[in-house]
Amino acid sequence: MAPQDTPSLAEPTARGRAPQVNPELLPAALVLTCAVLLIVATKLLNPGSSFMHQLDAVLVTSIFLVVASFGQGLTILLGGIDLSIGVVVGLAAIMVSTLTNGRDAAILWVVPATLGFAAFIGLVNGLGVALARVPPFIMTLASSISFYGVGLAFTLGVAQRPVAPGLTSLMVARVAGVPIPVLLLLGFVIIATIFQNGTSDGRKLYAVGSSPGAARVLGLPIAELTILVYTLSGLCAGISGILLAGYSSAATINIGDPLLLPTIAAVVIGGARVVGGRGIYLGTFAGALFLSALDTIITVLNLSQGVRDIIEGAIIVFALLLQSERWRAARR
Amino acid sequence: MGAALRRLRRIRPAGGATVAAMIYLALYTIYASSEASATSVFGLTNLFNNTVVLAIASAGLTVVVLAGEFDLSAIGVIAIANVVMATTSIGILGWFGALILVLLIGVAVGLLNGWLVATLQLQSLAVTIGTMIACEGVALLILTAPGGQVNEAIVSTLSGVLGVVPVALVIIAGVLLAWLVLVRTRLGIALYAVGTDATAARLSGLSVERTKLLAFVLAGVAYALAGFMLSCQTGSGDPRASHTLLLYMYASVAIGGTSLMGGRGGVLGSLFGAGILSVMQKMLFALGAASFYTSIFSGIIMLVAIFIHNISELLAHLRRRVA
Repeated sequence: MAPQDTPSLAEPTARGRAPQVNPELLPAALVLTCAVLLIVATKLLNPGSSFMHQLDAVLVTSIFLVVASFGQGLTILLGGIDLSIGVVVGLAAIMVSTLTNGRDAAILWVVPATLGFAAFIGLVNGLGVALARVPPFIMTLASSISFYGVGLAFTLGVAQRPVAPGLTSLMVARVAGVPIPVLLLLGFVIIATIFQNGTSDGRKLYAVGSSPGAARVLGLPIAELTILVYTLSGLCAGISGILLAGYSSAATINIGDPLLLPTIAAVVIGGARVVGGRGIYLGTFAGALFLSALDTIITVLNLSQGVRDIIEGAIIVFALLLQSERWRAARR
Repeated sequence: MGAALRRLRRIRPAGGATVAAMIYLALYTIYASSEASATSVFGLTNLFNNTVVLAIASAGLTVVVLAGEFDLSAIGVIAIANVVMATTSIGILGWFGALILVLLIGVAVGLLNGWLVATLQLQSLAVTIGTMIACEGVALLILTAPGGQVNEAIVSTLSGVLGVVPVALVIIAGVLLAWLVLVRTRLGIALYAVGTDATAARLSGLSVERTKLLAFVLAGVAYALAGFMLSCQTGSGDPRASHTLLLYMYASVAIGGTSLMGGRGGVLGSLFGAGILSVMQKMLFALGAASFYTSIFSGIIMLVAIFIHNISELLAHLRRRVA
């Protein structure tokens, strides 16, 4: 028996005396500070460029993870998980590039169609989890494997097609000196924070996540909320995929795969618990920004891929260790 | 505690393996009826060679999942094992020395995961992402690009036949035997108890920490063995070869009827789960279906298996009510 487990029996009383300030803000702010420090360090390592330039670079490359992590964060908040994010990002990217095929005129219908398809995959996940009662881990894994097959069928024999130049230029254009992706990012973070931590639906998610039984007794629409959350997660992965296609100006079906595990890591580094009911979006955003900044600084250091991976893995473990220290301190 | 143990014994044999076994037999029958070579020694050897890596890795994952944790580090361990085999199995170590080294690496990564999760109480789903990435980094340091060579002696032996029995099947049987011994030990029972309800297990005097630690170590050894077998299949090293394996490992475990919440299921089911994913590929190929159908059907089979598990559990529940 580990000695630090004993105080957990006294946890409810400790929570009862919680201060007025949202206690989840502290870890989020801490991770955000670390991310900013990483960006500063990147600038110091790379003296040729200005700080604003580095900041822009990190923010622009972080947008894919930031957007996709929002959906992951919502599903984890409900005590679930979305393993289909990587595949949905890839499918959205390939769909938007195949259908636009380099024509700007097509953007008007292709983007909504792509977002609709991404949301549809999320809807299927949500229906499976909420109505068919399939465990989220299995439902989203199964749907991602199946829809990956659909994507393979869709791209069969089709050479890589160029993305519409409109989307590509969106990712590099600037308004008043600020890159458009950075503005999109800020807008997204504000809307996401308001939804998760400011609306009644958002508050209900916390209730369902921390105690599904109590939420049922209260008569909260658990099934509807679950379906909503998975659909939103699919939608976010779709947005991420479209932006990624614009950024890389061409897409492959596997383009989203490297995003899946970082979305989980971002949510947890941001202070959420995998069992649900905890964590704010600002934390997830900070986690995603932190991981992207980490990626940038490791690239700037010009290390071999092997050393990069080792450092990145160690830092993820270390960040989790700091978060768990906080949990332990909160229990005391 | 005695009563609780008896109850554990009663629910364990079902473990979901029967459903997986039936699906496996059904798919194999379709495969065998459309492909003449399916029942030949050659066809069976080929089938089990395709299954063995996923089967062993899924078996290891099952042990951790039963204890109520997640482990994503498998592909990292398999990658290290593969590149170590490709760089050392011919030189000074010889294949046996390399195998021992690889197994020790598996133990080491398992200990690290176990320490982080069981002792420091970090969330396994996230922390094993970290160890997985770090392990892949180590593999890339050992071998920066695909290459190297695995000792020819084991490549031909372990992918061949022993008399008329495929060696891969013998190894899968060995893993199953090890599992059957494990569930009869104190640790095996503790795995189920800890996975079902860690607090209850702690109160009845089991060490949750030690049980989870050992679960990760056993899993690490299994991943290392899977990496060893992968090397024997491919004959060379590739630090990225194991990348696609992870999601299919979880699919195998789920199809095999092991609950991802912990405490229910077993390795036998996961072995059949891995078998299903491999035999389905063969079946669809024999039927002349395009390769993307394999992916589409893998997901559907997962859901079908879960659906049947749920139905059979519901029936068992109703039967208990009636009795």
